[in-house]
Amino acid sequence: MDQIAPAPTQSRKRDDPAKIRLVGAGKTFQVRGTELEALKPVDLGVGGEEFVALVGPSGCGKSTILNLVAGLLAPSAGQVLYDGEPVTGPNRRVGYLTQKDTLLPWRSTADNIRISLELKCRATPRAEATDRVAQMMELVGLRGFEHHYPAELSGGMRKRAALARTLIYEPETLLMDEPFGALDAQLKLLMLDQLQRLTRHRRMTVLFVTHDLGEAITLADRIVVVSARPGRIRAVHEVRLPRPRDVFTIRFSEDFARQHERLWDELKDDIIKGTDV
Amino acid sequence: MAEQAGSVASLAFPGSRSGETPLARALTTPQGRIGARILLVAILLLAWEFAPVGKGTGFWLSKPSLVAGTIWQWILDGTLRVHLQATLAVMAEGYVTGCLAGIGIGIVLGLVPRLHRVVSPFLAGFYAMPKIALAPLFIILLGVGDLSKVALVAITVFFLVVTNTIEGVRDVDRDLVRSLTLMGATRVEVIRKVVVRSALPWIFTGMRIAVRYAFTNTLLAELIAANRGLGFLIEFNSGNFNITGAYAGIAVLVLCSVLLTELLSRLEARVSRWRG
Repeated sequence: MDQIAPAPTQSRKRDDPAKIRLVGAGKTFQVRGTELEALKPVDLGVGGEEFVALVGPSGCGKSTILNLVAGLLAPSAGQVLYDGEPVTGPNRRVGYLTQKDTLLPWRSTADNIRISLELKCRATPRAEATDRVAQMMELVGLRGFEHHYPAELSGGMRKRAALARTLIYEPETLLMDEPFGALDAQLKLLMLDQLQRLTRHRRMTVLFVTHDLGEAITLADRIVVVSARPGRIRAVHEVRLPRPRDVFTIRFSEDFARQHERLWDELKDDIIKGTDV
Repeated sequence: MAEQAGSVASLAFPGSRSGETPLARALTTPQGRIGARILLVAILLLAWEFAPVGKGTGFWLSKPSLVAGTIWQWILDGTLRVHLQATLAVMAEGYVTGCLAGIGIGIVLGLVPRLHRVVSPFLAGFYAMPKIALAPLFIILLGVGDLSKVALVAITVFFLVVTNTIEGVRDVDRDLVRSLTLMGATRVEVIRKVVVRSALPWIFTGMRIAVRYAFTNTLLAELIAANRGLGFLIEFNSGNFNITGAYAGIAVLVLCSVLLTELLSRLEARVSRWRG
């Protein structure tokens, strides 16, 4: 297990308004003796309560950016700041929904969602925890599956259980790595709607990785386009659509279509270049 | 189970299903199989009972009825209780000691790879060594009483359990550890909620294998030197040319092994329910 440095608490340096800031942060991996540059040094700031989507072809370093912010990877160049302080170990102020759901296979769905409330750092009375778990399961449409083990759930259900497990403790920042990839179209819209409500209501900062441009436009304040490996930031788009957005109908608006076209123009070269999208 | 057996049979002999005799078909049901087992044992016992023997061979061969009589006698006069209790006590004490030490030290070694790399050649060496070879040494050091046998069983169990525990702890999914750490879990919480729990199936496997070794080594130690226990009972009776007594001891032993195996497979089935 990694050495765990205590996360800095309550020491915000307010001269930088960004919640998350990457300063020339790059990552190079050693793969069997050769160096693999996953992420060229990038600069990126995410403001408090901002919803930022990262889009780009597979393997372009989007997940690497999330891992840097979560403190699971140390940058090989530059710095990653959270609330103005360098991230030096697992960043406990963020909730991280990884691509692979990390449900504990020996715990039932309800017990998986409950786990953060059992920890000393946010110990919750049993009755209250049970209530919140029930609410969360309702929210992600898993009612009736409380006693199922993860192995007994479908891929989409596991994703939703993992989402519920992250949302239940209301982290101030949410990192999400393609959380809705495995869901069918209708369910995805429902989840996007819930996610928008919850993150806006709880004033969360969100950094969201997706390869679905529609998803990005629907949810994000800004969209960061990352180019194929080695990743670098190709463009940043402001999404000028009023909030709250109706995730079910916004796809049919003219503004949405224009945004989509602009983004697609940015991305298509990379995609056509023959990456594995 | 029944269907499985049937399908294996039809794989081995394609098209033979329709031509099966009623007897063959009866064997595919659980009741049929149990009945067949009883029948098998009954035939063997009858053949043994009524085997044509002369006066000399009769002595060496004994008879199931005599063996049963001896066991009955042992039950009545308390002999069986004393020896069975002695064997089970030694086995249980050694087993529990070995398991506790194995799990505790295994978790520490699994969590501290640097330490594990230092001691792993010793672990591997002792793991491979037949521990029964230590029995004479332990008897010299600790006496013919229970202590030497408990020590032998504990050592045997320890090496089986510690090896599996280390493997289990090292096998833990790093992503699960990371996700709990991000949630704010302390190191102790991560160990308790993820590391140990995910190592449990490994630990149980080690413990299950260890039961058999514990039983075997208890018996072997008793055969070498003891003043009570099932092993002693068998050794004492054959030493005194009481062949019927020796057979009776062995019969009790077989019964114990069957019960133990059955118990273990039931426990195992219950523990691994979450594996979908």
